[in-house]
Amino acid sequence: MTPPALKSHTPQRVLISGVSNPLGAEVARRLATQVPTLFGCDVADPVSAVEAMDFVHADTRHAVIGKLVRQLHIDTVVHMAVKVDSHGDDRTVHETNVIGTMNVLTGCAGPSSPVRRLVVKSSQAVYGASPAYPSFVTEEVAGSDRHAYGLKRDLLDMEQLAQEFSLRTPGCRVCILRLGYRVSEGTTLGQYLSLPIVPTFAGFDPRLQLLHEDDAAEAVVRSALNDHEGVFNVAGDGIVLLSQAIGIMGGRPVPLLPFYGRWIGRLAMRAIGVDLPGHLAEVLTFGSVADCSRLAQTFRWKPAYTTRAVMDSLARGRDAEVIDSPSPPQEYELQVFLQRRRRLAGNSLRGTPALTLRK
Amino acid sequence: MSVARADSLDSKELRRRSRKAKVVTPPPSRRLRVPKPIRRLQRQAPMYAVQGLSALSTRLREMTGRDVIDMNRVMEIVQFVYQQRQLASRGPDYVVDEFGFDAQWTESLLTLFNVMYRDYWRVETTGIENVPATGRALLVANHAGVLPWDGTMIKTAMFAEHAHPRHVRALVASLFMGMPMLSWFLRRTGQTVGHPDDTRRLLDRDELVLVFPEGVKGTGKQFKDRYRLRRFGRGGFVATAIRAGAPIIPISVVGSEEIYPMVADASPIARLFGLPYFPITPMWPWLGALGMIPLPSKWRIQFHPPVHTELIAAESAEDQSLVMTISDEVRNTIQKGVYENLKLRRGVFV
Repeated sequence: MTPPALKSHTPQRVLISGVSNPLGAEVARRLATQVPTLFGCDVADPVSAVEAMDFVHADTRHAVIGKLVRQLHIDTVVHMAVKVDSHGDDRTVHETNVIGTMNVLTGCAGPSSPVRRLVVKSSQAVYGASPAYPSFVTEEVAGSDRHAYGLKRDLLDMEQLAQEFSLRTPGCRVCILRLGYRVSEGTTLGQYLSLPIVPTFAGFDPRLQLLHEDDAAEAVVRSALNDHEGVFNVAGDGIVLLSQAIGIMGGRPVPLLPFYGRWIGRLAMRAIGVDLPGHLAEVLTFGSVADCSRLAQTFRWKPAYTTRAVMDSLARGRDAEVIDSPSPPQEYELQVFLQRRRRLAGNSLRGTPALTLRK
Repeated sequence: MSVARADSLDSKELRRRSRKAKVVTPPPSRRLRVPKPIRRLQRQAPMYAVQGLSALSTRLREMTGRDVIDMNRVMEIVQFVYQQRQLASRGPDYVVDEFGFDAQWTESLLTLFNVMYRDYWRVETTGIENVPATGRALLVANHAGVLPWDGTMIKTAMFAEHAHPRHVRALVASLFMGMPMLSWFLRRTGQTVGHPDDTRRLLDRDELVLVFPEGVKGTGKQFKDRYRLRRFGRGGFVATAIRAGAPIIPISVVGSEEIYPMVADASPIARLFGLPYFPITPMWPWLGALGMIPLPSKWRIQFHPPVHTELIAAESAEDQSLVMTISDEVRNTIQKGVYENLKLRRGVFV
């Protein structure tokens, strides 16, 4: 017996949570041309306005998503309000990732829910890194580390919640994307690799696998538009050694950080100004490369940028064109105002009145 | 008019061209520049050294009537040094495969390993023709000696003896992959973690994969237990070979047991450092770093005819009794080969 809701359908009304982070904004920009109605919500103002998107201030840490989903008749939720590479304290990260996702899931659950598809952004950080892992970690490897803590534990808990939701709600397809490490400006790894003299963990030269911002956004868009269910690793083809990556950026690797007692190395890096989280310190010692064959088989698509190309594009500073610089707030307000004027002027193609829920 | 104009243009052009090109000099380096003659000497010193050595070798040959200094060996060393310098300056654009294997660098190290193979352990290899020139195969060998020199020698044998030299990719316990320096060296020279996923991946790429089913139990056994093979795990290597459709080639190595005669295992120290064993040999740790020099025992390596696991249907990999039967068969072949080669060897060090 297959539930009638599991029929393949094209998304009509999409809600993106966490549109204000750069990746969320890029996903919104790409989805705007593909779906009839697009809504976005976040705590902060969006970095740049997308004309076809209705934005609402909503914090996933509070139970507002349920109301939003039911009143706007959302059929696809793209959950991007997941903090992976932020400098917030562990508590905020935990609140956002675990409690926030729990709220989104409870909002989407229930018989009255119109949601048929849910995309959850996760990260390759769920694996961390370990010498005992196979050279290419498959999706099943996550969770084998029983002593996971920090971000790794949060992401594991979050994914487990999503999996349970998927089991309990047969009418809704859940797609969890474990996005690879990204190195655009502002990311911790990008900052680290751009140092002129890069302290590395002595005696190690790990293999790195990276994902371009473009490909990350494309993967999320594709999973929102198609019926893919399950957990997927998303990362670029090929590898680059840490020493090579540093060389491409024009820096010099110096094996300074001690291997035994990695926290000493993390403290030293914090003194320099690069706050390496625990999972990243592991990755910079043992390396983390994911097996993306499931993605290639199911999506019939693979990231356009190889790891090497990601590194080259970072070195050339071309990433600037991927993420728009944030526009000043007045401009955003102006665009929203004009948008609303156009709507009120009788363009009734979009079936909803302008919606602003300001706190 | 036009002629005059052309003339004037020409003269302008001529004047422009006659101007000397500006010589762009690199900014003076902050480092101390040694005077030119000394720099020339620095450049030419290796050449003079080689010339002097060859003159000396000719003189010695005339005096003693035999080769005291083998110039071929000397040239090999010179070539090795130059190769290393070239590799050091190749920048970040060199190629490594997905496992982190740097083939170019590994091939440059073969000169060193060849010296160990040929001169130090005088390895005699038989049955190398059993290794296929192309396609996948799983090499299975006995494991001994405290450090995995046996793996190195099998790899070197493939280059020194085989008609079609190929790289052998060995599987290493994950414990060693977590150790600083060692893990770097192992990955760089083509080794990977001993995980069924990795084995399958390498075999699917038609590589030669070397596995030591005894694992740490083999290298960590004491001198009194030498040449007695340990348990072959749960036969996982056979299941992987059947699934990947690869033949198994058993290898017996003799001589590796005597390189570090381990008389005792200081397990409390091992536990302190997170090692599987801490060897006590007549030299280690009493002599410090000198104790790490392996003894020059006489080695023999025998490659046995392949066990055709590629002919077995892939579903049979689930049949544990079949897997264990083949595993025992391979183990017996290796054990018998070890005894035969021990008989063929005249003494431990000759």
